Amino acid sequence: MTASPTPVGGPAAAPAAAGAARVDFASRVARAAGYGALLLLFAAAFEFTCRLEDWLRYRMPWWTPITSQDDLVVFDKDGGHGRPGARYQKWVMNNLGMRGPDAEVAKSPGTLRVVTVGASETFGLYESPNREFPRQLEDTLNARLARGACAGCGVTRFEVLNAAAAGMSLPTVAQDIATRVRALHPDVIVVYPSPAQYLELEPPRPARPDSTGRRSRLSPARAFRPRALDRLRNQLKLLLPEVITTALRRREIAAAVRGQPPGWQYTAIPADRLDRYESDLRMAAGVIRSVGAEPILATHANAFAGGRENPTLLSAWQRFYPRATGPTILAFDSAARIVTERVARDSSTRLVDLMGTLAAAPDSAFKDFVHFSDVGSSAVAADLGDAVLALARARQP
Amino acid sequence: MLFNSYIFLFAFLPVTYLVFWSLHSARGRYLWLTLTGYVFYGYWNPKFTLLMAFSTTVSFLAGLGFLKWSDPRRRKLCLVVPITVDLMLLGFFKYANFGIRTATDVMHLFGRDVSMPHLNIILPIGISFYTFHTISYIVDSYRKVITPTRNFFEFATYVSLFSQLVAGPIVRFRQIEEDLEAIGHADRRRWLTRGLSFFVVGLVEKVVIADSMAAFVDPALAQYPALSSGGAWLAMLGYTMQIYFDFSGYSTMAVGLGYLFGLRIPQNFNSPYKALDPSDFWRRWHISLSTCMRDYLYIPFGGNREGEWKTYRNLMLTMLIGGLWHGASWTFVVWGGYHGVLLAAYRRFDRYWDPLPVRVRQGAMFLAAVVGWVLFRSTTFPMALALMRRMFVPTPGLLAANVWLVVPLLVAAGAWAMAGPNAFDMRHEWTWRRRVVLTAAAAACLAIIAGTRSSPFLYFQF
Repeated sequence: MTASPTPVGGPAAAPAAAGAARVDFASRVARAAGYGALLLLFAAAFEFTCRLEDWLRYRMPWWTPITSQDDLVVFDKDGGHGRPGARYQKWVMNNLGMRGPDAEVAKSPGTLRVVTVGASETFGLYESPNREFPRQLEDTLNARLARGACAGCGVTRFEVLNAAAAGMSLPTVAQDIATRVRALHPDVIVVYPSPAQYLELEPPRPARPDSTGRRSRLSPARAFRPRALDRLRNQLKLLLPEVITTALRRREIAAAVRGQPPGWQYTAIPADRLDRYESDLRMAAGVIRSVGAEPILATHANAFAGGRENPTLLSAWQRFYPRATGPTILAFDSAARIVTERVARDSSTRLVDLMGTLAAAPDSAFKDFVHFSDVGSSAVAADLGDAVLALARARQP
Repeated sequence: MLFNSYIFLFAFLPVTYLVFWSLHSARGRYLWLTLTGYVFYGYWNPKFTLLMAFSTTVSFLAGLGFLKWSDPRRRKLCLVVPITVDLMLLGFFKYANFGIRTATDVMHLFGRDVSMPHLNIILPIGISFYTFHTISYIVDSYRKVITPTRNFFEFATYVSLFSQLVAGPIVRFRQIEEDLEAIGHADRRRWLTRGLSFFVVGLVEKVVIADSMAAFVDPALAQYPALSSGGAWLAMLGYTMQIYFDFSGYSTMAVGLGYLFGLRIPQNFNSPYKALDPSDFWRRWHISLSTCMRDYLYIPFGGNREGEWKTYRNLMLTMLIGGLWHGASWTFVVWGGYHGVLLAAYRRFDRYWDPLPVRVRQGAMFLAAVVGWVLFRSTTFPMALALMRRMFVPTPGLLAANVWLVVPLLVAAGAWAMAGPNAFDMRHEWTWRRRVVLTAAAAACLAIIAGTRSSPFLYFQF
């Protein structure tokens, strides 16, 4: 009889194997924890860099509840307007809730105060800091003043206050002039309207005043919202090829149209909306005069003026106004130009035809369908500067 | 496509990497790397991939010719024809308008105003680099330094390898041949951590230092007539750091990417601002270019074999051509000439120079490099002269925006460049400490890239 061989890893080896398995499991857990910690470190370093860069580049506070452009607007007893002292990336609001450097409510002697009103085109989206057209307008006016362009008109300094805010419609503009801007005693108010707003689902109305301020109150907890998310979202958009972004936009537009009754989407200029634009513009001009300022009306410019075709860009614009087809938006903007000219003529108001000017400008004047680049803003400021100087010269010193 | 863009980092690179390592044959990997090289290149302008394909085919056929024929006349034909074709393409795309401009100016000097048309030519990105790749292959094959490959896709991989396609390093076939031959059984894990580590170091150089410098240098030099002496020095010191970290960062990333695919790409920068003399500088700066210039220009011109003055002549000729290679402008030629003079002067007076203290030599060489960068960065001679005047004659004017930020950054960059380790001096072991540092650095770079649109590499223009 032969002795049976001791099985490999028999009873004596079992505890050792169990021990090794425990060690192996523990080292796996440790490694997993290590990688988890690295992931956390990655997220923390990413967020830290975002905040550090925001501070270095824009002087944006490390902890602020203002986490998007929307937070730059506040709704209070005066309606909707810029939030005083707010700051988000390159957009800096002054003590009066207007984009730009701080300003005194009282005008200093010899100052001709110009206030620009309108929506995001006037507020400035894509321009470099201090290159949005109201800032360039102030620079160009003062440069021309220094060269003697307004000799004898009693002006020693031009001051331009940018009271525009993204999405501000004509009725809200008129409301803001009547409530807030009036106190600043402006000499000239430049109105750069956005007619396409009249193609929204409902025609624009003045912002509802909120005396409680509850609607715009920002929770301090928002300061902890990761800024990395915005950056990543933007990069994701850039990552997508244009074909896909265009397809996604078209899908979004189609989804907005779907389920609506037939004829809901404007395929031709809606006359009632155009009439509404006209009456609101007349009202705004009237309000401006009522606060003792001289209005300047400007026609709205877009990147398609002068026969430039760009279906991709048009679909990007239409995404904001799915109620109208792309060609209708363009037709409405052109019709609004004629209306603006008519209102200016009827109310003896100075008109600046920016649509005409920008039609002849290079493509680089626009960063998207309606928003200017530094180049575009420079062209706008030059034309408006002529108009403001003409008004200044016409004034009695 | 840029290495420092999200599309590259999160789409192109992962797909290229995963597919590459899922293929197991050398042929499949050659094919894949060639394809991705063309996609990478064509992302900028698809039309110019045809140009690269043409140049590749001509050079490959020349290589086959060298294999087939031993008759000297035929071999010479295989040398001259493809090089002529390559140089003609380079000459047309890069130097045609320069030639026209120069001819017009010369005619004007002699009192004859001739109107010659400006050709509407787009300079294909990286043409100078891949032309050098193909020429070095042809010359080395002719000299029998290498055995030309019979595998078209191996050669196409060499020319179109995305990591070094558009801004170098100018990798010679012999430097990468061994790894290319062994590509079919390369070990994915062998160089992975080293590759990642190199890539992150390069990303930091580019994104954190070079781009931060650019944000200050570009606006400052855009208004150079208004700069004060301090402003001009700050701008030029900033540019000195920007160009080094930009190009070195690109090269380091290229080396890292090479490792990820089992290919060892040689060092292109060896801390050039630690150089003690002009010769040392060119052994450390853009090493792949300077060795190419030495082997394919300086030595064929006669090198230092024909006496002192001919050596100086050969140095000058080599550096003038090297300057012109950098760009179709006389400022580049003069920059090359300036370095030629420095090299010749050092050669003549090295016995007086070498005994000087190390710090003095390093400082003086650094200063000489900064002066050279004035010529390199200036778009015109009046700009170069104005900057030099401001740097060396006390002039009032603008200093710089955000000096409080620029100066510490400049000091940090200078300390790294002049005293710190370069990527090849660093250890790349995958320790936990190193992982922590690299993870934080990578996160910081990605956050910065996400906050801005990626800026192109300076050397793309060459």
